[in-house]
Amino acid sequence: MGLNKSNVEDQERRFALILFLPSFLLLLLITTAPLVFLAWNSLQKLDLGMPWISGFAGFGNYVKMGEDPRFWNSLGLTFLYTSSTVVLQILIGLSLALLVLQIPRGQAIMRIAAILPIVLAPVVVGLFWRTLVLAPDFGLVDLVTRALGLGNYNWLGDPQLALISVIAIHTWQWTPFAFLVLLATLATLPPDVFEAARLDRANAWQRFWHITLPLIRPAIVMVIILRTMTALSAFAAIFAATGGGPGTSTEILNLYAYRTSFTELNIGYGSALAIVLLAITMLVSWTLFRHRRKGST
Amino acid sequence: MNRFGRQVTLYAVSGLLVSVWAFPVLWAFLTSFKTERDVLAYPPMFFFTPTLSNYKEVLFGTSSILPNLWSSLVVTCSATFFTLCLAIPAAYALARLRYPFRRASGFYILATQMLPPVGLVIPYYLTLQRFGWLDTYSGLVIIYLTFSLPFAIWLLVSYFEDIPYEMEEAALLDRAGRWRALWFIVLPQVGGGIAVTTVFVFLNAWNEFMFAVVLGGNRVRPVTVAMFNFISVEQTQWAKVAAGSMVAMAPVILLGLLAQRHIVKGLTVGAVKGGGRR
Repeated sequence: MGLNKSNVEDQERRFALILFLPSFLLLLLITTAPLVFLAWNSLQKLDLGMPWISGFAGFGNYVKMGEDPRFWNSLGLTFLYTSSTVVLQILIGLSLALLVLQIPRGQAIMRIAAILPIVLAPVVVGLFWRTLVLAPDFGLVDLVTRALGLGNYNWLGDPQLALISVIAIHTWQWTPFAFLVLLATLATLPPDVFEAARLDRANAWQRFWHITLPLIRPAIVMVIILRTMTALSAFAAIFAATGGGPGTSTEILNLYAYRTSFTELNIGYGSALAIVLLAITMLVSWTLFRHRRKGST
Repeated sequence: MNRFGRQVTLYAVSGLLVSVWAFPVLWAFLTSFKTERDVLAYPPMFFFTPTLSNYKEVLFGTSSILPNLWSSLVVTCSATFFTLCLAIPAAYALARLRYPFRRASGFYILATQMLPPVGLVIPYYLTLQRFGWLDTYSGLVIIYLTFSLPFAIWLLVSYFEDIPYEMEEAALLDRAGRWRALWFIVLPQVGGGIAVTTVFVFLNAWNEFMFAVVLGGNRVRPVTVAMFNFISVEQTQWAKVAAGSMVAMAPVILLGLLAQRHIVKGLTVGAVKGGGRR
């Protein structure tokens, strides 16, 4: 046919680049270039409320973080919020998946119920919880506690309760994700392994610990990675439910960067905070991915 | 405990946990048909005379959300359209063809998906402000591509990898040309995958909030932002908030139920392969 090998390869390469380059170049332009701009802004004194003080600040914004108690507070909250929501999602999601797996009928209904929170916009979830679920006296939770004689609470108004509440909201919305993924994984496990273990008189707990858990470990790690990313940049649900308040009691780093930039209009410092969040996100994802690769080989 | 007792316990516990997920949504659904007085009745009412006045109010009243639904529809559909036009060819190349830096560029696309939105919205705000593109459809559609394009590429890659090589090879040997092979042989086979991708891109764009609240405005205000403003203006009118939420979320709930068998795949895209592609 007159086509030699290198010709075919050339042709394939050219074809591939025509297909791939538009997306690649566009992403460079719309994601990477803005990040460079963000990094540049983080080195500036840039306050839209006081434009006359603008100027190069070097690492001034980063130095300022050292003695900014609100920054350390938001960092601590980010850690607490991310770790507790991810752990809760895995624990509840896995337990529920193990339970539902043993149910012969009705799994479909549970899957549908699980999809509801996932598809809702986080901002709407925040609104639902702020009004119908957590409102004092008439919210669902207070209706239950009142009926049980436990009294009523200001779930979103008290600093500590508010933190618990936003953790609960995030866990409510995203546990179905862990549940669905783990249920799908569990359903693919070969049943004969468990049969053999049962014949060896391994009890339920031993079977779970020594057989199920190692088999679904990759899925668990994957869920942890994805959920950590979501929790680190959680925004709309908290914003709608508490706005970061009362005070700064639910202000995770993401919200602090947002509020600094768009409520206080201090874009320079807000950019620096966003860069820190970006660095944390990259560090965490890199660590988790490396951990997974090590575990899978 | 005997087997029957065990079954009952299983159903009771999982039923309870599942109702924790479904109940708030169903409760909002009920609330949307209540009068504001019935909403605050104690004990709460499960049976009441339903009214459509809340829906009438949020759709045709003074603070109608119809313009916001339109904004959402325009932004979401445009973003979905451009995403698919760009993502389908890119995903095909990434899944099937050999070219320099394929692995590295695939990983780069995955990495762009993990960026915290707040890091993007700040430079976008400054840039769009300079060009006078705040509160325009174009501005929002561009920033929506930052999350929908990487997502769509990776989801589509998984579908392209599922189809067998043989048919393409046969088409190529027939000198059909690569474009014709892609268009007539490959694309028809990933129709389902493209449909699923469309659903998820639509869903994510429809639900977006942070970009919309910062870069939108009076003219372009997606429905998520309208819902948020609703609560700050009408603090105590829960029935209206519930009705508005039901209208705003109806499209995504329907799409979610439609795509329910694919939802696990849609949610875990990228992470399955991202750690170490072949």
